[in-house]
Parts: sequence; structure tokens; C-alpha cells
Amino acid sequence: MDGIVSITDMSFSYRDWLSSRADALCPPVLSHVDLALEDGSMTLILAPPDAGKTTLARILAGLIPKYMDGALSGTVMVDGHDLSKTEPWELVHCCGYVSQNPLDELIAPTCEDEIAFPLESLGMPRYEIIRHVRAALEAWGLVSMREASAQELSGGERKRLLLAVQDAVDPKVWILDESFDDLDVSWRERLMDRISSRSNTSVVFGSRYLDEFHGTFDRYGLLAGGRLSFGDEADIALEFERLCETPYAASASKSVPGFIPVSDAAGCGRSVMPLHVMEREGKEHRLSCTDVSAVHMRRSMVQERPFTLSVPRFSLLGGEVVSLCGPNGSGKSTFSRLLCGLDLPLAGTFSLDDDVASRTVLNRSVGYLFQNPDYQIFLPTVKEELAWSLKRAKIPQREIDRRVGECADLFHLDLDETPSTMSFGLRKSLQAATYYLLDRPFYILDELDSALTYATAFDLVNLLRHNGAGILLITHDRRFADALADRNYTISDGLLSEAEEGA
Amino acid sequence: MTTDTYVAGTGVLYRFDPRAKLLLMVLLCIWFFLPVSLAGAWLVVLGVIAAGVLSVGLRRMFRTFLTILPMLAFMILFIPFNVRSGEPLLVAGPVVLATREGLLQTLRLMSRFVGVTFVCALTIQSTPMGKIMLALRWYGLPYKASLVVSLAFRFIPFIADSFSQIKDSHRLRDPNIDEGKGRKGYRSKLGDMLPTLTSALVVSLRAVPSLAMSLEHRGFGLPGKRTSYHVLETSWRLFTDLFISTMIPVALWFLFAVR
Repeated sequence: MDGIVSITDMSFSYRDWLSSRADALCPPVLSHVDLALEDGSMTLILAPPDAGKTTLARILAGLIPKYMDGALSGTVMVDGHDLSKTEPWELVHCCGYVSQNPLDELIAPTCEDEIAFPLESLGMPRYEIIRHVRAALEAWGLVSMREASAQELSGGERKRLLLAVQDAVDPKVWILDESFDDLDVSWRERLMDRISSRSNTSVVFGSRYLDEFHGTFDRYGLLAGGRLSFGDEADIALEFERLCETPYAASASKSVPGFIPVSDAAGCGRSVMPLHVMEREGKEHRLSCTDVSAVHMRRSMVQERPFTLSVPRFSLLGGEVVSLCGPNGSGKSTFSRLLCGLDLPLAGTFSLDDDVASRTVLNRSVGYLFQNPDYQIFLPTVKEELAWSLKRAKIPQREIDRRVGECADLFHLDLDETPSTMSFGLRKSLQAATYYLLDRPFYILDELDSALTYATAFDLVNLLRHNGAGILLITHDRRFADALADRNYTISDGLLSEAEEGA
Repeated sequence: MTTDTYVAGTGVLYRFDPRAKLLLMVLLCIWFFLPVSLAGAWLVVLGVIAAGVLSVGLRRMFRTFLTILPMLAFMILFIPFNVRSGEPLLVAGPVVLATREGLLQTLRLMSRFVGVTFVCALTIQSTPMGKIMLALRWYGLPYKASLVVSLAFRFIPFIADSFSQIKDSHRLRDPNIDEGKGRKGYRSKLGDMLPTLTSALVVSLRAVPSLAMSLEHRGFGLPGKRTSYHVLETSWRLFTDLFISTMIPVALWFLFAVR
């Protein structure tokens, strides 16, 4: 069946950079994939981490193999273009791609320039560009940030900016790679409305929010083991959940005393076993702050009011999981930076075990897993990455090897792999693994669950609190937070406060 | 790949036409190499810094100063030692360490270096990158060349931003954080910086294909004329601003030229 998108017997393998031979290839990421999409159809493709979602999305956008070496066989046609003979710029009108990591894709100095760039490329008259830019900014809530640099936006705002670009160009085929992640619930709903209300063809690659997707799409596919299969929504979801019954849990339960795997976690909405935690030796730690406030300006634009954050009271005990939810750009990451001592507050104090904590004390006590794992991964192999902190702590080499080996097993990481070529989800696992070895009494997980399946995210949280650590879980996923957290905090209108139970 | 060096503001410099601002920047850079008095050169440097403090703020100007501080330190250390003929000012036994001529030459070179740095920094910090591109194109630079300039100016602060993020991240991961602070030698400090520099390099290198991919995916390379979202108005205001841009260096020349 020929449609707007047609893939026939397509296979792809990345070049093996560790081999001395130039033509050496890694095992295939995608194998004999067939796909035909009707014009105007909406397709959801579920895939566990590292299954090749981003690879398939980029192949459809005409970016692979041009920008990532590898061998592509078979035929890929989009809107009548044979992608083996088509340059990416020829696809602007027919194929739009929103990547998982928005910072990679942003090129212009301001939000409005970002939206205008492809329209300028298409030679659209200026008055039309102005109209499209204005409409896209309004549709994605970016009017007040039109002159802001994307570097100064939050993760969710950047994702909205990419969607605004897509909306302005309005290509025939929308390829959305985990685009619902990083968005708060109102923007997820807006995105869902957007893709269901237009006649464009949409391909959504996802691994979470299955309940929110329920009944919306025409077709449901599963990408696993390099193969793409389609079926009934319930069957695909069931198979996906089976696949996501996580490699972590099985090994973790064997290796970490006190660890109980989270069963049935993939759907998140159902019963979740309580997390069991080993008691930390010594007294229970308590991290708290009172009357903290912070102010900052976006330097790229003139603001009438600076961004302010006020935290009258906050506390986190060892062993508990506390969630922090709030809309995009509400100040979750700002608070995280204050809590781990990276930034200084305008006023207020932080305390550890009821003693005032200096920045250095906070740095040493609170592990902060950034939203973007690439800022925390820097060495050529997983082994070196995991061993770095231990070496700095002058631990004997044999002990380092033992701990690193155990940690790699727990997190299912290949010690010889190159982090920069690993999938986004695996890079997040590596990021968590490095902090696991640091054994901090507190961790801040800044949207750790983004781009991960529920089961994987549950297990990473479980592993990180194996030794009684307190966890501050920042997430846009209310259900995920409710399933894990003992208490909840929210940020609204610049005020961080504890949510009422059941609210 | 997104940040640039622009600092938002509403002062006079922000209202000045970018084409005129670029012209003024080039003419002032040339002016610093003309035969002007040393006192005059430093007065102009101070004037530029004062304009910068009023426009983009003291903090931003100080950051610019910090970036050139190592270079200034090298100048102070080595240039006087290199010019040892003339009236001796500092003598160690038979060796002349510094002369009046060497000191004057150092001050002259420093005035040029500081002046050119602050003039360029102020132009870039007070003008959105999109308008700099349009101004460059108005002067006849092809679109692709102006895009390269624009991306280059954005790439440098991008690396700086990445460096700062990575430094923060490593600060949290390093078990020896702040240990022996102030007592470490340069080699040890450099060793501590190595992981951060390596990460910044990795992030920067990763950004290169992403940037190319993104540009082409947004239609860069399509045949046909690109249109422009921003335009620079051509009016009497442009004429006035260009006239002011020309007259400032000319007036400074008449004031401080060595006769």
C-alpha cells in the first residue's frame, strides 16, 4: 500500500567507530522495517529505550545516514520523495521533525528568529512570516519570550519552541520524537489537540503517557529488537509493557539487599509496590530550607518583572521521596540549583540536620541529576565515566573495579561503550549510575523520567535510594509522582509550597 | 547552539542604527591605531567603558575585562622587558629590566587592545545578532557569509555556557571539591579543569553535526532567494546615525592627534 510515508524492507546499522576498518558496522538497529502511512493518519510507535526510535525518526526526516554514518538499505519514500536521492532542505514542506533533545536543534538567537528561519528559507513574504510567527508564538505560549534566547528557556519551553517552529511551517508529516516529555499536562493536552485537529500525518514516538494516548491514534506500532510491528492498541500496549518489565529490576533484586523490584510499573496508573529502602547507618538526615527567595532576569530581553521564586518552607528527610511539580518555566530547576548549592539565594537559609549548610556542604550532600545528561557525562567510555569520582576519592583500583562492575550490572551498562553514541535513555541511566556510586544522602532528579519508560524510571529511583537517600523528584507526570512520592510540593506563581494531601 | 552575547536594554546605544554602529565600530578600531596621544587614547578607552557601563551594566563590562585580563598580564610582564633601550626605569645590577620607552609602548599597546576589545564587545552586546546579520548584508556581505559570522558569535558563548554548566555538574560529582583550595599549584588546578574542558569539547563537537542537521532541516540550502523576517528601515534616521558615526572618530582625531 502506498501512502504519504512508505518504507520497504529498510535496515540500518551505524558505523562501528571502535573498529579500525572504515566499513565496519555495528549490529543493525533497524532490521527489515516496513511501514506505510496514509495521508492524514495518526500513528503512535511505542518503543523501549535504545530500541531505535530516534534513528527511525531521523531516517524519516532525511537526516540519517547523511549526518550519522551507517549503512541504510531498502526504500524510504516521504510524500513522493525517495529519501536516498533527496536533500534534507527539500523536505521542509513535507516532513517536520521535533527531536527529543531540543537544545540540539535550536539555531537562532531568539524565539521569533527560530520560528522565522524556515519560513525565510521557503521565501515566504515578510508579512506572511510575521503572521505565522505571531500565530505560532501565541499557540505555544511564547509571546512573552519572543525575544528571549533559547538558552534561557526551561526544558519544556524549548520543546514548545520546537513545536511552534513545526506549527509555523506546518509540514504534511509531523515526526514527534518523545515530544510529550518535558511538557506539563496542559501543554501535552494542547499538543494532542493540535495533532488530532489537523489533517497532517503524525508519527509520534513514545514510551510513556499511554493513558493519555488512549484511543487517540489510528494505528499503534511497536519497535523492538529492530523490528516494527503493528496491531491492536491493547495488544501493542501489553507487549510494550511486557518488554518494559525492565532489565534493571531483575538484576537489582539480586544485587542490592533490600531492593524490591517494582512490578507492574510500566502502566504507572495501577498499583505499584512500595519502595523498600535500606536504612542508612547513623542518624536520619534532614535537608530543609526556610524563607528562601531567588530572583533572576533573562538577559536577552527587557522584562517588566523579573522571575521570582519564594520558598517559605521545604524539607526532605532521608529515605523519603518528595515530588515537585509545576508548569514549564515555573522555577523547578532554579530551586534545584539552590538546594544543591550551585546558586546562592537572595535570602533565606538551607539546613542539613538542623545546622546551617554552606554551599560546599550542600554540594557534597545533594546529588543533582541535570535535565540534560550530556552535561554530566564526559569521558570516552562508560567504565571511565563511572570510575572518575571514585578515583578522585583515592579509592584503591581493585575496589574501584569491583564497584564499577557491580554498578554497570545494576544499570545494565556496557563498560566499553562510548557514552556519546548511546541512546538518550541509556545516557540518563549512566548519569544516574555515576551518582549511585557517589552515595549521596540526597538526590534531586530533574525530570529523570523524561524519555524513559515508567519501569526504567521507577527502577532508577529505586536504585538511587538503595541506601536510604532522600529523593526530590521533579516531574511533569502527576501520576508518576503520586505513585512514588510520600509528599508533594508544587510551584505556582513563583511560590513553592507543600500540596495538600489528596490535592 | 542558541545563546548569543546580546544583553537587552533600552539606552541610546540600543536605538542607534546597527549599520551606523558597525561603521562606528570599524572606524574606532582604526582610530586606535592612528598617531594619537597616549592620554587621548586612554580617555577614549574610558569613554567607551563608561558608555558600556551605562548601556549594558558594570557587571557585563567587568566580565569582558576579565576575559582579557590574562592577555593584559602577559603584556605588562613581557613588553617592557622586550624594549630595553632608552631611559632606564628599573635596573637589576647590569641588567635593565624596564625603560620609559618600554613602559610607553606597553601602555600604547594596552590602550589599543583594551579599546578595540571594548568597542567590539559593546557593539555585539548592544545589538541583536539578527540585526548585525542584516547590517552586514546591507554592506554587501553574502547571506551565507553573514550567517557564518552570526553562528561563530553564537558558538563561542555556547561553549562558555556549556563550560559553566559542566563545571557545576563536576562540582557536584567531585569528592575533593574545595579541598586545598588556595593552596593548589597551577598544574593541579589545570588538572582539575581537565574533565570540564574535555566535556565542554565533547558537547561542542556534538553540537556541530546537530547544527548542520538543523540548518538543512530548516531549509538552509534551498535554491531561490531567502526572505527576511527583520528589516532595517532606511530613513533620515539612518543618514543621521551614519553621520554621527563618521563624525565621532573625526572629532576624536582632531582632539587627540599627535602633531
